[in-house]
Amino acid sequence: MNSARPLPDSSKTLFQRLRAHRSARWALVVIALLVVAAIFGPMIMGSTGIEQLDIVGLKSAPPSWKYPFGTDQFSRNLLARVLAGARVSLAVATLAVLTSVTIGTGFGLVSGYVGGRADAAMMRLLDAFLSIPRVLLLIAVLSLWSPVRLPGLILLLGVTGWFGLSRLVRAETIAARRLDYVEAARALGVPDWRIMWRHLLPNVATPVIVSATLAVGNVIALEAGLAYLGIGARDPTPSWGAIFQNAIPYVAAGSWWMLLFPGLAIVITVLAFNVLGDALRDILDPRQLHGSTSAPPSVSILSGMETLKNG
Amino acid sequence: MRRHLVARLWQSLIVVVLVTTISFVIIRLAPGDPFSYDAGNLRPEIRDHWREQFGYNQPVPVQFVHYVTSVLRGQFGYSFAMHESVSKALAEAVPRTLLLGGVALGLSFLFGVVVGVLQAVGRGGWFDRISTSTLVVLYSLPDFWGALLILLIFAYWWPILPAGNIVDSTLHDYLSGWGRIADRLKHLVLPVSALTLLTTAGVARFQRAAMLDVLPADYIRTARAKGLTEREVIWKHALRTALTPMVTLLGLALPGLLGGTLFIESVFSWPGMGQLAAAAISRRDYDLVTAVVVVGSVIVVIGNLIADVLHMAIDPRVRE
Amino acid sequence: MRKSFFLVAAFSAFAACSSKEGSQSAAGATGGTLIFASSSDADAIFPPFVTDITGRMLEDQIFDRLAEIGPDLRTVGDQGFSPRLAQKWVWAPDSLSIAFSIDPRARWHDGKPVTAADVRYSFKTYVDPKVGSPVAPTLTNLDSVSVRDSLTAVAWFKKRTPEQFYDVAYQVVIFPEHVYGNIPPEQLHTSDATRKLVGSGRFRFVKWDAGSRIEIVSDTANFRGRAKLDRVIVVKTDPATEKAQLLSGQADFMEAFPPDQIAKLDSNAFARALAFPQLGYTFMAMNVFTPKSKTVPHPIFSDIRVRRALSMSVDRVAMLRNVFGERGRLAHGPFPMTLGVADSTIHPAGYDTTAAKAMLDSSGWRVGPNGMRAKNGRPLRFTLISATSSITRGLYGVLLQEQFRKIGAQVDFDNLDPQAYLPRMFAGDFDAILGSYGTDPSVTGTKQNWGTAGIGGQNFFRYSNHTVDALLDSATSAFDPAKMKTYSSRAFQTIIDDIPAIWLYDLLVVNAVNRRFDTAPTRADGWWANLADWSVAPNKRIDRDRIGLAQPKP
Repeated sequence: MNSARPLPDSSKTLFQRLRAHRSARWALVVIALLVVAAIFGPMIMGSTGIEQLDIVGLKSAPPSWKYPFGTDQFSRNLLARVLAGARVSLAVATLAVLTSVTIGTGFGLVSGYVGGRADAAMMRLLDAFLSIPRVLLLIAVLSLWSPVRLPGLILLLGVTGWFGLSRLVRAETIAARRLDYVEAARALGVPDWRIMWRHLLPNVATPVIVSATLAVGNVIALEAGLAYLGIGARDPTPSWGAIFQNAIPYVAAGSWWMLLFPGLAIVITVLAFNVLGDALRDILDPRQLHGSTSAPPSVSILSGMETLKNG
Repeated sequence: MRRHLVARLWQSLIVVVLVTTISFVIIRLAPGDPFSYDAGNLRPEIRDHWREQFGYNQPVPVQFVHYVTSVLRGQFGYSFAMHESVSKALAEAVPRTLLLGGVALGLSFLFGVVVGVLQAVGRGGWFDRISTSTLVVLYSLPDFWGALLILLIFAYWWPILPAGNIVDSTLHDYLSGWGRIADRLKHLVLPVSALTLLTTAGVARFQRAAMLDVLPADYIRTARAKGLTEREVIWKHALRTALTPMVTLLGLALPGLLGGTLFIESVFSWPGMGQLAAAAISRRDYDLVTAVVVVGSVIVVIGNLIADVLHMAIDPRVRE
Repeated sequence: MRKSFFLVAAFSAFAACSSKEGSQSAAGATGGTLIFASSSDADAIFPPFVTDITGRMLEDQIFDRLAEIGPDLRTVGDQGFSPRLAQKWVWAPDSLSIAFSIDPRARWHDGKPVTAADVRYSFKTYVDPKVGSPVAPTLTNLDSVSVRDSLTAVAWFKKRTPEQFYDVAYQVVIFPEHVYGNIPPEQLHTSDATRKLVGSGRFRFVKWDAGSRIEIVSDTANFRGRAKLDRVIVVKTDPATEKAQLLSGQADFMEAFPPDQIAKLDSNAFARALAFPQLGYTFMAMNVFTPKSKTVPHPIFSDIRVRRALSMSVDRVAMLRNVFGERGRLAHGPFPMTLGVADSTIHPAGYDTTAAKAMLDSSGWRVGPNGMRAKNGRPLRFTLISATSSITRGLYGVLLQEQFRKIGAQVDFDNLDPQAYLPRMFAGDFDAILGSYGTDPSVTGTKQNWGTAGIGGQNFFRYSNHTVDALLDSATSAFDPAKMKTYSSRAFQTIIDDIPAIWLYDLLVVNAVNRRFDTAPTRADGWWANLADWSVAPNKRIDRDRIGLAQPKP
């Protein structure tokens, strides 16, 4: 299912509006740079940072001209590793969010459109999922079933990340179902799947896009947190979180560079996605800007809620 | 309103039953059991003997029936990691997590609401601009990252506070009454500050948005026109309406807060549910893992119920 | 701030000396509190269930063995053993029974005398199948224990063996029947009573908060003399903060200081190094059978030329320096140098990548376009597993992976959670494995690890060579130590020639201890062997050393 369908108004104007938005511009530049670095960085370096240069002589070397981020305890070039880690971290987060968005939108659309008992049952199930703390569930499953490889990690992050979004989509679907042209389509006997696909999906696109953007940052942070606890991507091609975690025992020994650079990479990336998500909400959701006294809590506020940290 | 409440209680019960089933099955299907831990001299036949003794050799559905019947009798099993009954282990750890999470939640709503209101009132001004960017940065700090930074600063580089644990694990027992209280408070400061700082950012963001939603409303204009002071208008009339979505946030924030608490507990070695879960998971102590997940969910469910009730109390429209 | 703390400390030292009420322990030759920052809690503390090092340490302080092994850990006959709970022992002329006379002064910590019935009860509990003690398999040669009189217990054996004395004296501690005897054997595991220990050792048990803290104090009425320290507290500490606590004086002792940072201890004001050579060695074993299979040859490792090439392609010395700095000890073969029968003249093949590459070429594994080797379309790629419980092995896994990559072998390194590692280890479900053997002091352990008899148990990679079996049998049945050593050396050399494994390092644990402690000699089977004789000189005592023996206020 293609959940990133263009909005009713053309996406070109959206991009132009993003460019006009000051913080969004900044975030877009950072994200673009990150993606470029992730794709071309390892090629330019000619290395994905797995080579151990000299395990006796270059062990834990501080930053220098030759190795700007220093080396780790296995004498691996940390700059190359952080660049290669960008690939893993960004890919894991993007794919996991795509999974979440697909499941969450589908579930919410169906639930909201079908209504009645099926809807009630689906909502109870959702309540159950929502009340299991995600981090606890992830830690339990990932460590009990270890080693979980990257595809498994992506799937798990995705499968546990759609509950809040789904609720939101359902609310929007219920609202959209009452619109005249949807009622008309139903009266004309248009098949249900077609109504959902053609008429309802575009109506829920706004909260989905905003949530998805915020979720990318959130999943990067979450994956890093899991790696910090020793669960997640493993050597020799680790994510930023794994590089960070690997460094912790060496910080007390004075090797601050091992922690600083992967740590900064994580924070800057999460920040960029959060700022972009906020900007998208500003641009796409006019209710918040112009203010309205209609039915608090308004969707504009709640749309970010499921992305409250680690949710 | 009462009917609504009863319905909500039923729903919550169903949710808890579902959660118990889901987590039991997921956990029991995982490879290993409490007797597969790393001990070189433990022979396979002895492990098998213990498995049989404690029913871990039976098929999962049979184990589930046993589990449910014993839970209904109020027994949650035996913890091999803690060497005591699961209920005893939980009775120690859960209040510690609630203490940490509760204090931090209270503080962060207090700070968050104040900051959010100030931002919304002075929208676009210097305070709004500076604090908004600061909050976005704080909000983007992964929990473990922020906590680790605080730990490094205040426990190692400038060591004024203890690095971890809930009390001084060596000498607490030998302190006087006041000494013990001081000891406890001292150990509470860093983890609570870390959790508060990281949660406040989220709360303030939403409070600002909620406030901006309310401020242009007609009744605010009316209140101003009636000659009320600006302070009364903002902190009485506007805030009351703007707090309604915050109550919902309180309910929705709980799972996230609990998740954040797990990381904070790990960084500060705080012996709460997160540490209990970690110990239980690493020992494949399945009864305890299941219980921790279920209790975590129950806390969330209860939190949502409370938020619901509060919401009803504040917002007259829901009462119908 | 530091200055005022110092003044307070100095003042209270004076107070302790001058005041009459000042407890004797605070100013006299005895006293002191040792804070042991441990990265792991005990799995279990009741002796028949003890499986881990923290549990062992506790057991050795609170309980006594019948006789204590000598510092050189000789296991044949009773040479080197000294009296402990048994004052003396008498062998039957046919050597099929030994009568142990219990020291009449020995008392349990609750004041009751230790009797022969307690000895009988302890052995009965260890071997009871309903208890399921991991120690039971070492007692298979024991027939029974009888009570001749209240202070004489007789151990009866099925047959005469060189290590029969060691089996009953070293492997087992004695615990009181009147405390634990009325608990049904199958309930010992979960009984609350077995969470509290009553023993006869020089330390008494105070409290165990599972997962966080264990406290023991000196048994002042002990028949062997009170422990010189007042108190030992084992605090479970996050591995990331253990070291910082030692270096700042918050904790007094830790096991296994990170080996490459030991130099820090030389200049630290609080802690110093306490090297402790252990009875263990670490290696990378190569499975000659296909994973999980017991018969199908492994597509890569069944060829001894490949095993030899791989063994020559790793720089063991450089890896040792990376992980241990200057203090590592290279492994010689399937034995630690601390073992009585160790032979330092034995060496595996040296580091030579050119020869290794040539050997791989000639055995058909040729370099492909991607730089990796393959034979008949099968890539030279295998999985190496290790357990996350060992940090050092985790480091070695990453180092080995890269060294193998350089000669064209691709390794997938899975550092597994112990719970995932162990079942795979026992099932033979691996290509290569990073293993570590902590052996007991006797060469019998080698038989379990490398003999055909050990298959299905400790010999988890199914190494089997009948020459080795025969040599080890000869070694273990030799009553003459020199002969034992000759046979053992020949067995070790034969194993090394088969290259079932790459020998990496001997376990050398460097513990860290606060400088104010005067430590007693350690022993290779446990640094804590003489913990009751550790002390703190009165002028070096700090606040926590002066708590005295008072019980904590509730």
